[in-house]
Amino acid sequence: MARVQLTDVTKRYEDVTAVEEMNLDIKDGEFITLVGPSGCGKSTTMEMIAGLTSPSDGTVMIGDRDVTTLPPKDRGISMVFQNIALFPHMDVYDNISFGLRLRDYEKAEIDRRVDDAAGIVQMEGMLDRMPDEMSGGQRQRIAIARAIVREPEVFLMDEPLANLDAKLRVHMRTELQRLHKELETTIIYVTHDQAEAMTMSDRIAVLNEGELQQFAAPLTCYNEPRNEFVAGFIGSPAMNFTNGDLTGSGFSSAHYDVTFPTEGVGISPGTPVTLGVRPEDVYPEETLDDAADPTELIDAEVDVLEPMGDEIFVYLMLAEDTESGMGGDVSGDDTLLMSVSPDSTLEEGDLINVALDRAKIHLFDDDTGEALVHGVARATGASADATGEEAE
Amino acid sequence: MNDDTTRPDGGVQTEPELKRGPFQRWINRSIDDPERAYRAMFYVATGFFLVTTLFPFYFLLVLAVTPEAAGLQLVPAAFDFGVFLDVFRQINFLRYMFNSLVLALTTTAIVLLLSSLAGYVFGRLEFPGRTPLMLLVLAISYFPPAAFFVPLYQLFTGNVIQGLVLYNTPGAMILPFSSLFMPLSIFILTTFYGQIPDGLEDAARVEGTTRLGALFRVIVPLSAPGVATAGVLTFIAVYNEFFFSQLMNNGQPENWAPIVGGLLQLQRAGQFQVTYGIMAAGSIIAVVPVAILVVVAQEKIVSGLTAGALKE
Amino acid sequence: MSTEQPTGSAPRRERSGPYVAVVRWMENLSETQYAYLLLTPAFLLLGAIAFWPLVSTFQLSLFADSLGQASVGEFIGLGNYVAILTGERTALLPSPFLPQSLTVGAMFNSALAVTVVFTVISVFFETIIGFVQALVLDQNFRGRRWVRVAIILPWAIPIVVQGMIFFLMFQPNLGFLVGTSDNPAFLNQIGLLTTTPLANAQDATMIVIVADVWKTTAFMALLILAGMQSIDRSLYDVAKVAGASPWQRFKYITFPIILPTVMVAMLFRTIQAMRIYGLIETVAGCTTVPSLSCLVITTFNNRMLGSSATVAFITAAIIAAIVSVYIVGYARGDV
Repeated sequence: MARVQLTDVTKRYEDVTAVEEMNLDIKDGEFITLVGPSGCGKSTTMEMIAGLTSPSDGTVMIGDRDVTTLPPKDRGISMVFQNIALFPHMDVYDNISFGLRLRDYEKAEIDRRVDDAAGIVQMEGMLDRMPDEMSGGQRQRIAIARAIVREPEVFLMDEPLANLDAKLRVHMRTELQRLHKELETTIIYVTHDQAEAMTMSDRIAVLNEGELQQFAAPLTCYNEPRNEFVAGFIGSPAMNFTNGDLTGSGFSSAHYDVTFPTEGVGISPGTPVTLGVRPEDVYPEETLDDAADPTELIDAEVDVLEPMGDEIFVYLMLAEDTESGMGGDVSGDDTLLMSVSPDSTLEEGDLINVALDRAKIHLFDDDTGEALVHGVARATGASADATGEEAE
Repeated sequence: MNDDTTRPDGGVQTEPELKRGPFQRWINRSIDDPERAYRAMFYVATGFFLVTTLFPFYFLLVLAVTPEAAGLQLVPAAFDFGVFLDVFRQINFLRYMFNSLVLALTTTAIVLLLSSLAGYVFGRLEFPGRTPLMLLVLAISYFPPAAFFVPLYQLFTGNVIQGLVLYNTPGAMILPFSSLFMPLSIFILTTFYGQIPDGLEDAARVEGTTRLGALFRVIVPLSAPGVATAGVLTFIAVYNEFFFSQLMNNGQPENWAPIVGGLLQLQRAGQFQVTYGIMAAGSIIAVVPVAILVVVAQEKIVSGLTAGALKE
Repeated sequence: MSTEQPTGSAPRRERSGPYVAVVRWMENLSETQYAYLLLTPAFLLLGAIAFWPLVSTFQLSLFADSLGQASVGEFIGLGNYVAILTGERTALLPSPFLPQSLTVGAMFNSALAVTVVFTVISVFFETIIGFVQALVLDQNFRGRRWVRVAIILPWAIPIVVQGMIFFLMFQPNLGFLVGTSDNPAFLNQIGLLTTTPLANAQDATMIVIVADVWKTTAFMALLILAGMQSIDRSLYDVAKVAGASPWQRFKYITFPIILPTVMVAMLFRTIQAMRIYGLIETVAGCTTVPSLSCLVITTFNNRMLGSSATVAFITAAIIAAIVSVYIVGYARGDV
């Protein structure tokens, strides 16, 4: 159990910078996830924590030791790999005890620890099997047992569930959470799957193009994404984005306007901004009451319905907003995804009115991509159509 | 299917019925059914190859066991197995065999160690200069031993570095063997080591091995078939080598001359001292170790030869 | 909890001293540095026992043969090459490098001609026979394993034993292949062999060729077999459905696909055949069949170090030329 600190960690290869000045301060016993699209530097970051790759710059601390130049074996870490990486020429017992044997532990101690570890991953009685006699799930449990048997200070997991089938993956997620509760060891987990990151971690570090975008609790990343990338990456289906401009009276795009006082936004009217809103924060006219603070109505046509069982995803085509006269660019953002309850009676082709929830609107600066505000205040009397004004 | 029945389709048989021998009938059937002819050709070819490859060995055996007085016959009329003991009485053949095995085993160990390191580097690491260095190794295997001989002989007889005399010692043979047979092993091991997934090496290092430890504890054991192949081929190549085996010692068993020296000594003794039967018996004894190796490890030999050669 | 301070049963490992320092140093090398470090032992050996002798052989070849006690004479640049290639040196050499005339006898007296004749004929027959052997081994039949052992066996035996077998087989009046003038064997009667074939350059060369084909055809067969077995078997099913006979299947599928493999195998065998020495030495002796490698040794034994090195280097150059011709041809075939 240890705190892990990365200070200005950078990895440059000849022509590319894989990781740029990464700063992470991971608390003792915390479960954190490095998440991002492929090539974002999350695996390189993990390799640098493990010592499999040495950073070009910066320092890595585990506990109160600077481990930047230590080989992997001296860092007090253990690791679970995406391709499982059990040694195929060793049986389960030899695989689990490999690290202990290398460290010359006494036989009795090794046996005790192997039994404990096998018990934790519920693989007792399989110790004399060979890896190729086992299923993918069993192998991954053995790999986890191999990692926990040394009682490391830090657990590194590099997409450990990526090669498992969907059902097993969900099951193993809960197993890992249980394991974390039981061991209380610091866990650093790498995945490209934001759902995995959201469900398991205490905090998630969102990476893109080698740079840390946001390092916060999952719900913070969801509700208050620090920039447009995080907003788009976290959450499924992804957040809707509409390009437009900040005006004196709110937001204006080619398809719709949203009025709100712009003083608090922090940049001057006339600047191009992007409005982001999640599908569940878009409401059809009939359930407008559910929104905390609905915006003006927006004309839309139901293009495609995707019933998911517990909700329906509604793909909307937005009409051109002729009144605003703000041409803007129409490309791509003339659609809006809305999620509605499964008892909705909408049908494809319906012409409907929808509104956004002001409290859940995000505005992003087009220049920097940084979030400007999360949720805007009610407009001062500008919106005539809004009906749920009194809603909390 | 008999020729003299009328055809089932009711067609008229125009050819006059000839009286045919069994051979001709067979030919006719073969024309109807070419697969049959191919199968026959296959058996003839197999038989031919078995006879041609094995006959010289049989000849050696017959020559060895036929008593000196008796004439050589395809099936010997009399047997005398004492000749196999005579080989050891006439010359110190046991020592020659021992020398050969020691030279082959030592060279194999050196080659496996060095080519494991090199194979790991070429198979698993990316670094500038990789391709030119591999080509350099490849180039070595193209040169004839004669191109290395004169300077090496001078070196080993102490004419280059005063006091360094390796002639008539194992070193004078093991060093050239190792460097000339190493390229093949490097290429075989490069292929095998390159196929081990990266994760296993990383896992070993995280679990507690050093970089070098990961090579010898995980990559080498996992490539055991490849290492065995490289080892068997190197052993056979050294055991069978002639050039340096003959030229880097004076042919005496106590000076580490391998079986090349022993058999040439038998041959040069002339037939008044040593009978042809003894020469044949010596040759048979010399073949035994590699013959066993071929029977036991033929798959390794086949895969190694083809992998090594086609890779290059 | 940490492995660094295990409780109860402390690991017995010592953690200090130069060993740890070396390990630490190796662990922190960059990938390139580490690669070169691991290559060092192999390249030290290759450098001392392969590269240095090559360079040194070339150097030696630039010096005249020594007349006195010194190992070499004066520096004469490419003089040795000129003298040997123009035939100027022939009288001094144990056997001529180039054929003295275009007669058969002169051919079999010349190191270059003997080597080329040996190489061309033996590689030719090895390819043809190896091809047929590969076709046989490619079939599935009971006992294939043992047929394969039989075919590989000659390849695996020591050169000196191979030489001994053919030395004995062609001993006059010992085998049944060679008789005496009173009692000629079949091969003598048809005029293929003299009654002392191992002392006759032409006969001995032929015997050496047969011995080489006997031993190394297996190598050819195995490479060709590997090529055949890498062919996608469904191609044959397609051809069968299309009505191709076995011969047509061979002609249109097997042969074109394995041709590159055959070329590589031929290249290998050519390189090896150009080095022929041990077999000759055992069967007939270097004076009867003077190959290029033989000439290197015989000139060396005559203390003609410059000439010896020159012949060695010319041999290497010829092999290099053959290799480049093959590689260029191969590359052109690929385009």
